[in-house]
Amino acid sequence: MDLKERVCDELQKEVPKGASSTNFNTQHQQKWEDPSSTLDYSTRIEPPFQAFNQTCQTQSLLLCNNQIKVPMQDGSINDLLQQASKIQDWDPSAMLNNLSFLEQKIHQLQDLVYLIIAQKGQVLGRPDELLVQQQQLVTADLTSIIIQLISTAGSLLSSVKQTLSAATTSLGQCGEFGGVVFPSSAQRLNDGVQPQNAGGSKVSEPPNSIDITSNNGNEQNNHIVEEHELKDEEDAEEGENLLPGTYEILQLEKEEILAPHTHFCTICGKGFKRDANLRMHMRGHGDKYKTPGALAKPTKESSSEPTIIKRYSCPYAGCKRNKDHKKFQPLKTILCVKNHYKRTHCDKSYICSRCNTKKFSVIADLKTHEKHCGKDKWLCSCGTTFSRKDKLFGHITLFQGHTPAIPSDEIKVAPAGTSDGATNKVGSVNFNLSSYVSSESEVQSSSMDIKGGIDDAVGYFSPLSFDTCNFGGFHEFPRPPFDDSESSFAFLLSRSCNYSQKSGEE
Amino acid sequence: MLSFQSSKNVLSLTEDLLVRIYELLAAESDRKSFRLVCREFRRIDTLTRRHLRVIRIEFLPILLRHWAWGLKSLVLSRATGLRFSGLEMLARACPCLESVDVSYCCGFGDREAAALSSAVGLRELNMDKCLQLTDVGLAKIAVGCSKLEKLSLKWCMEMTDLGIDLLCKKCVDLKYLDVSYLKVTNESLHSIASLLKLEVLGLMACPLIDDVGLQFIERGCPSLKVIDVSRCEGVSSSGLIFVVRGHRNLLELNAGYCLSELSTALLHQMKNLNHLEVIRIDGARISETSFQVISANCKSLVEIGLSKCLGVTNMGIMRLVSACINLRVLNLTCCHSITDAAISAIAYSCRSLVCLKVESCNMITEKGLCQLGSFCLLLEEIDLTDCCGVNDKGLEYLSRCSELSCLKLGLCTNISNKGLSYIGFNCLKIHELDLYRCTGIGDDGLEALSNGCKKLRKLNLSYCNEVSDRGLGYIGRLEELSDLEMRALHKITGVGLEAVAVGCKRLADLDMKHCEKVGDSGFWALAYYSKNLRQINLSYCGISDMALCMVMGNLSRLQEAKLVHLSNCTVEGVELALRACCVRIKKVKLFAPLRFMLSSEILEILHARGCIIRWD
Repeated sequence: MDLKERVCDELQKEVPKGASSTNFNTQHQQKWEDPSSTLDYSTRIEPPFQAFNQTCQTQSLLLCNNQIKVPMQDGSINDLLQQASKIQDWDPSAMLNNLSFLEQKIHQLQDLVYLIIAQKGQVLGRPDELLVQQQQLVTADLTSIIIQLISTAGSLLSSVKQTLSAATTSLGQCGEFGGVVFPSSAQRLNDGVQPQNAGGSKVSEPPNSIDITSNNGNEQNNHIVEEHELKDEEDAEEGENLLPGTYEILQLEKEEILAPHTHFCTICGKGFKRDANLRMHMRGHGDKYKTPGALAKPTKESSSEPTIIKRYSCPYAGCKRNKDHKKFQPLKTILCVKNHYKRTHCDKSYICSRCNTKKFSVIADLKTHEKHCGKDKWLCSCGTTFSRKDKLFGHITLFQGHTPAIPSDEIKVAPAGTSDGATNKVGSVNFNLSSYVSSESEVQSSSMDIKGGIDDAVGYFSPLSFDTCNFGGFHEFPRPPFDDSESSFAFLLSRSCNYSQKSGEE
Repeated sequence: MLSFQSSKNVLSLTEDLLVRIYELLAAESDRKSFRLVCREFRRIDTLTRRHLRVIRIEFLPILLRHWAWGLKSLVLSRATGLRFSGLEMLARACPCLESVDVSYCCGFGDREAAALSSAVGLRELNMDKCLQLTDVGLAKIAVGCSKLEKLSLKWCMEMTDLGIDLLCKKCVDLKYLDVSYLKVTNESLHSIASLLKLEVLGLMACPLIDDVGLQFIERGCPSLKVIDVSRCEGVSSSGLIFVVRGHRNLLELNAGYCLSELSTALLHQMKNLNHLEVIRIDGARISETSFQVISANCKSLVEIGLSKCLGVTNMGIMRLVSACINLRVLNLTCCHSITDAAISAIAYSCRSLVCLKVESCNMITEKGLCQLGSFCLLLEEIDLTDCCGVNDKGLEYLSRCSELSCLKLGLCTNISNKGLSYIGFNCLKIHELDLYRCTGIGDDGLEALSNGCKKLRKLNLSYCNEVSDRGLGYIGRLEELSDLEMRALHKITGVGLEAVAVGCKRLADLDMKHCEKVGDSGFWALAYYSKNLRQINLSYCGISDMALCMVMGNLSRLQEAKLVHLSNCTVEGVELALRACCVRIKKVKLFAPLRFMLSSEILEILHARGCIIRWD
């Protein structure tokens, strides 16, 4: 996720330099105030956009094919923008400013890539680390370019009806999308994968869920979706009560799902998790963002058409939440997608700092766990902990041979066989073990020994360790009087006294 | 020994014959004598021993060394210092272990249960009053010992529905389950109802169960034979109707003190219980017609408990016994309107009567006892406490019941040494005798007693003012005596106590409150000899500091002591005595002002070791 931060930083650094910032603002304003279209972008397929498809694809292909071919994009971008201009009234001069800024950026990037190539030739034995760094730098630059590009294009699309939040969301997502998808696919393409296929599959799907990027490949995507919808009709009854035809399936790409932010500032590119935070942030960009209208939560206008319910598919092939799965069960919200993907298909990188055992892939899960960590006193012999006793007992009922473990603050009952008489005897010797904790098992055994030692010392009858008992030499018949080691007042009775003691047994 | 073996004597018998002889010895004392004969005999004992009752736990290791391998049954009841590591070793050392009794072991908790659970062959387990045991420990047992057939969890107060539920799911072979006094709810009954093999269910004094729970039992537990719902506050006769309706083959129904009245609806259902052998409806109101219904339908009735029942009349009893001739146990405690007529009817009809309790039935006289002595020759237990009508003549008739083992004559002020001598002469099997406040009893009576009743284990002589040191000398001849209550015997001194201490080696419980004349010599003897003493009451005795320390420190089995109003003891003495016994004492009663005079350290130690202090 460093990458993302870097991207953002870079954007913050670079964008204000550009002359375009003011223009953006105006365009933005425009977009907000525009009441014209009521359609949800993600759902509609408009004929005018069909034209874009090619351009978009070429663009993406170009991008994928080689990073250095970026300048070629210019034409396509221009095309795109021109096309866009047909739909919407816009300020050409501002757009020009934007484009020239983009051009500059692209040239800079070009230089950088040249430099990299030159370096590559020189130093072959260089550690990969540097290469990676450079790649990342290029990626970041490229990302910022794409964000700029899209936001420029996006500023044209004031017909976006949904809401500001939706718009910014899509922008942000698009940015993320650009930032991560492209480099990765580019890397892959370098390995000789067919550019068309890769580009097609990689690029065409994600925009599906995003308002603005729907420009890029909406039709194609809808195609795919339709196909699946047809397919899904066969096993429709699964999951919710929604009939397969009644909702639209959207599938975000892995990288989008893993993106930390979903709301991006159109001016500086800073990312936010919440639209409200973005709105608060926007105030810093000028007084026009301080109006109550701008700060108010954008209300969803009831559209004339019935809104199609959206459901989400997990991009992981073979997952039950993936639309290709036989018993596909859609996810309800983007948040669901995010959490599902992270929980099921990602490494559990968050480790609880308290117990150092529990791992999570969703940070909220970690936080939830940390609230209860240590309070999970109901422990099963298999190592699973439970916060509630009934849950533990349910677990034990279910699994053969599982038993509740005695809480860890007391000693752990070693399973029969691991502890023998010796451990009890050497208890006191092992005390120092706890100071140099080398391995877990050792710690465990030491803690047990310590406890055993204490028990020996305190216990009135030392646990039945045969050897620690003093009766070794004696047999049943001649039992010395008052030989009990524990009778503290034995000293009061002189051994010479004539009472002979009988066995205490029976 | 070798020279004997060559000649024809008992030692020339083969090992298996000796084993068979040994197995025929029923009484523990006989077995003890047997194994003390010679090494060979002791080896026979070692070979055949399957059962071990440990009284002084410190000898357990050496005992186990002899018997660990074939040991099937082990009684560790009331053992102090029983810890998990020991139990773990025990479980491994005795692979054949099938039955373990750890009841009243204060230290027995979850970890101990976990250790014990490695004895996978366990079939019977008694964990009564293991107060530290929780669901976790029970779960350990349930998972580890899945063959468990008999389990008693009385007074395991930490136990909840969760544990019982798990138990019922894991130990499906359970035949006997006692959850008396637990705070379990109907949920547990729901789980218990799924036990297909359960035959005996003890639910005594479970305050949270009610009729709804018993409805589960109606539909479940197909093998149920015995159920005890006595003292369950939530259970009413409708709950019992469920149980009776669901289980026609019920053998035993214990519903004491949970019914206000034996309702006709319940009675109607009980008509179907043709196999019923035991019924206890203590504390309920019962009409004469009810007796007729019971006697007409429950012909195989062996025991009936009518303690404190209202409406029990001579006529009712006569109707009952007219058909229920197999009655062996009859409890008529506090049925005040019973007279000799009812007793005569009982004696005449129920020839196999074994136990009769007629405490506080004042109208019984020697005529009734005469009938009993004539017909009920199998009588083993009779409770005549507070029956003023009993006199020496009555005891003479009663002494014809030579099987008598338990005789309670408390508050029978009309009996004297003469009456007791009949008992001592004829009733040789008596092991429990209660002479509480029988002021007519003196040393001569005890002499007769000690001559005949050698098996006496429990004796109450409280307030028998005439008893002196000579009488205690006779008591000292009772080697089996384990329980002696002799409150307020003003004539006895240290000499008498010494005789008891020397003679009664098995003495475990001694109450000598208000024996003010007993001096230190007696207590010293006690400290030397009575190594098996478990409970002692020394309140109002003239014991000195040193003797107290001796008694408390040297008696290694002592768990409970009552030490109130020790006039000759100083605070330091008591403190020292407590220090001497703090590792094993479980319950101590002390003079209230001492609370502030004893050092906080010793109080903390006692508290930390789980000792309960009662301030008086």
